Amino acid sequence: MSSKPNLQHVNTKRDAPQARPALSAWRDWLGVAPFLLFAVLFILLPSLSLFAGSFQDSKGNFTLQNFVDLMDPSILGAYWVTIRISLVTALGGGLLGFMMAYGVTVGGLPRWVRSALSTFSGVASNFAGVPLAFAFITTLGRTGMITVLLKYIGLDLYDKGFSLYSFWGLSLTYMYFQFPLMVLTITPALDGLRREWREAAENLGATPAEYWLKVALPILTPSILGTMILLFGNAFGAYATALSLTGGFINLITILIGSQIKGDVLHNVGLGYALAFGMVVVMAVMMTIYYFLRRRSERWLKQ
Amino acid sequence: MVEAMRRNTFWSWFWMAVGVLYFILPLVATFIFSLRAKKGVLSFLAYERIFQDANFWETFTFSLTVGFVTILVSLVLVVPTAYWIRLRLPHLRGMIEFVTMMPFVIPAIVLVFGLIRVFSGAPFFLTNTFVGTNALLVAAYAVLALPYMFRSVDAGLGAIDVRSLTEAAQSLGAGWPTILFRVIFPNLRVAILSGAFLTLATVIGEFTIASFLVGIKAFGPYMSLIGQNKTYEASSLTIISFLLTWAFMGLIQLFNRGKSDGTLAGAH
Amino acid sequence: MSYLSISNVSKVFGGVVAVEDFNLEVEKGEFISFLGPSGCGKTTTLRMVAGFELPTSGEVLLDDENITYKSPNERNVGMVFQSYALFPNMTVAQNIGFGLQVRKAPADEIKRTVDEMLGLIHLEKHAEKYPYQLSGGQQQRVALARALAIHPRVLLLDEPLSALDAKIRVELRQEIRRIQQKMGITTIYVTHDQEEALSLSDRIVVMSQGRMEQVGAPSEIYNHPTTEFVASFVGQLNLLPVREVDLQNGTCKLNGQLVRFDHSEPRQISDKPRLAIRPEEFQFGQAGDRNVVLGRVEVVMFLGAVVRLRVRIGEALVSVDLFNERNMALPRVGDDVTVNFPAHACWIM
Ligand SMILES: Nc1ncnc2c1ncn2[C@@H]1O[C@H](COP(=O)(O)OP(=O)(O)O)[C@@H](O)[C@H]1O
Ligand SMILES: [Mg+2]
Repeated sequence: MSSKPNLQHVNTKRDAPQARPALSAWRDWLGVAPFLLFAVLFILLPSLSLFAGSFQDSKGNFTLQNFVDLMDPSILGAYWVTIRISLVTALGGGLLGFMMAYGVTVGGLPRWVRSALSTFSGVASNFAGVPLAFAFITTLGRTGMITVLLKYIGLDLYDKGFSLYSFWGLSLTYMYFQFPLMVLTITPALDGLRREWREAAENLGATPAEYWLKVALPILTPSILGTMILLFGNAFGAYATALSLTGGFINLITILIGSQIKGDVLHNVGLGYALAFGMVVVMAVMMTIYYFLRRRSERWLKQ
Repeated sequence: MVEAMRRNTFWSWFWMAVGVLYFILPLVATFIFSLRAKKGVLSFLAYERIFQDANFWETFTFSLTVGFVTILVSLVLVVPTAYWIRLRLPHLRGMIEFVTMMPFVIPAIVLVFGLIRVFSGAPFFLTNTFVGTNALLVAAYAVLALPYMFRSVDAGLGAIDVRSLTEAAQSLGAGWPTILFRVIFPNLRVAILSGAFLTLATVIGEFTIASFLVGIKAFGPYMSLIGQNKTYEASSLTIISFLLTWAFMGLIQLFNRGKSDGTLAGAH
Repeated sequence: MSYLSISNVSKVFGGVVAVEDFNLEVEKGEFISFLGPSGCGKTTTLRMVAGFELPTSGEVLLDDENITYKSPNERNVGMVFQSYALFPNMTVAQNIGFGLQVRKAPADEIKRTVDEMLGLIHLEKHAEKYPYQLSGGQQQRVALARALAIHPRVLLLDEPLSALDAKIRVELRQEIRRIQQKMGITTIYVTHDQEEALSLSDRIVVMSQGRMEQVGAPSEIYNHPTTEFVASFVGQLNLLPVREVDLQNGTCKLNGQLVRFDHSEPRQISDKPRLAIRPEEFQFGQAGDRNVVLGRVEVVMFLGAVVRLRVRIGEALVSVDLFNERNMALPRVGDDVTVNFPAHACWIM
């Protein structure tokens, strides 16, 4: 790094940049200035603004009342439902996605299945929002194809208490983009399991089950947890899918914020900001955990 | 041994089948439904109606344009920055990466909330004009695109040892424009293209931000509106939108052939 | 009956013959090396002993027991992998204790063995570190200790040092030999490095294209190679075209000059007979009862302990190695020189 430039063959008179010799520091920073300006304007400023707003009452005076108001049962309930739906779909989607990724990496499925799966996961993980909600309404809605088919054979889902527009229906819909995301992120981790580890374990007397319990799963754990956190965040911030599916009749934080933006339904602007700020806090905690997990698995898997 | 192998593949196939059904059933149902707009027969009537709807073309064109502008903006933001970080400011890498990850921490609905609070009032008044609103939309999408644009471009730069390439070009007498346009960009083509298509796939049907900033001018809110009163057309829109996503992902895979794919987006 | 016996073993991978008709009897406590160029089937043979590959034909017997079809985790054969294959989620101590742990050994026994192994590889201070915190050489020691901790019946090492620096390589190879002799463990060591094989082994198996070329003690392999492949793969070998070969009396014509060679071992002569001689057998000047030929120096390479010359003798360009001496007057390019070599050091191939 510190070595002096040794580029006598560079014609320094030309307007050619030099990679190593030190320009003055501020000119180096100039290179990233546009990016930083953008980040300040469109990421930092909006966040700070919500942050500041959540400490103000309607007249602009400092207050902590907004955070006290967050403890309102209906708002706590919204947080709780949002967190539960994120947990359920992260676990469910994570499990299904892991099983599928396992199948194409170490599970012995043919190669073509793997490339088909990777295409399909790319599509499905990006297929969300309004059209996804339509697709599920057409499939599992009150007159959806599968609902009707099941009714034919004597199983009335809606009689049995299922509703697409409720917690479990929404979970089922979210899972549509959750498990492909798991497939995409966990496949490289499964690929990172080296054949020698299995062979070394076997060689030392371990059964396949012991290998999985004591070697493979512990190695994968940080990646699995990390990916599930990504899935959690994915569901936690989802708005379009939930809105189109339930028409806003589900008590999610994102839906609540959406209504607040449209027209102060909380009758307290500051409370709306506190609500949004709360979401960012949850996500920040999650991403911090994710960061440490990823660092650990990278350290383990680097070769 | 052989017995165990067979059982293993059985469960692999089983879970694969579950996933494939999960994936395919809603699409099949939607497709069949979309063909039933005319009573008693299967027809493409719903599609014809959509394609004859001027609003479809208007909103689609609008979102496509916004998508392209977003790609341009985020390329201008990301490529020079990522390059410069690799070349001159490697110690800033952590910080920049942190910034690009922010969309994972700030959900789209929160982002748009903050953007409106900041830019609708003094001193910006962006939401008072068409141009201002559209610019805000593009900025918001550029934020959403940051994580995968940066990752994609940065990985592309990592694969080519920017520093040596730059120095080699310099030692041969090349100036900045030559270095950027003839040495660096051509080597980043794959990375840029996959980032770009991922951006398009996300932006075109995006609903959350569009609905608050521009309303039914954009494709996402248009789909939502159709869904509220025309069910057959909504189904055909679903299929169209699915095919679009498929096309974008297919293109990414085509470019990325042989590499691990970076098809992770957010914003649902 | 020998301790480990590999008999008539072949392995075919979808039409590609990786190992063909491999036969080897290994005595208890012996250190055997498989030596050969990359792709000649060394690893495959080793993996058949470990149980990771099933032989296409033939069988493997260990301590009078046919283990050909036994699964790897029941063989009690220790293996050290080229890439170490340490478990990244476990500390050094946990790695070493893994084999005993899956054998459900009592905790105090595991601890005792781990401590003993750590002492053996001199890494007592690193017991609680993770693999990524160790250098390559340290990782390789841990891999060795892990394989030894289960007191395996046979120790298998697949190019264990190939990823390390030259200096550490030499150090570790002596270490491996020391530990092997101390524990008296039967060992098969795969390498493509002839120096490693020569310096470590009781016996060497030279392999080429899936076949065994020659089996013998290091000195035997080096001094009495039976095939041209062995002769040229192990050490340097000059091959000089000769005429008028007389096998009976051990004479031939090299560049018109009469040369005597070693004809004690029966040899076939090809239609283009060549005289084989190692570079270090040459000396300069006249010498009474040795072969003497004339040549001209074309290249002088100073390699440190050795000075290598390329000398033109007739149509052949010959490598000549001289030991460096501090005040030696090196020949110069273009010099005409007289070189001599003893008759017993060369043979016809
Ligand atoms: N699993 C396998 N499938 C197909 N061919 C293989 C496999 N393993 C080894 N081979 C082939 O067998 C030959 C011997 O390989 P190997 O035993 O690894 O050689 P070495 O260890 O001496 O370098 C090579 O030609 C290699 O390509
Ligand atoms: Mg090998």
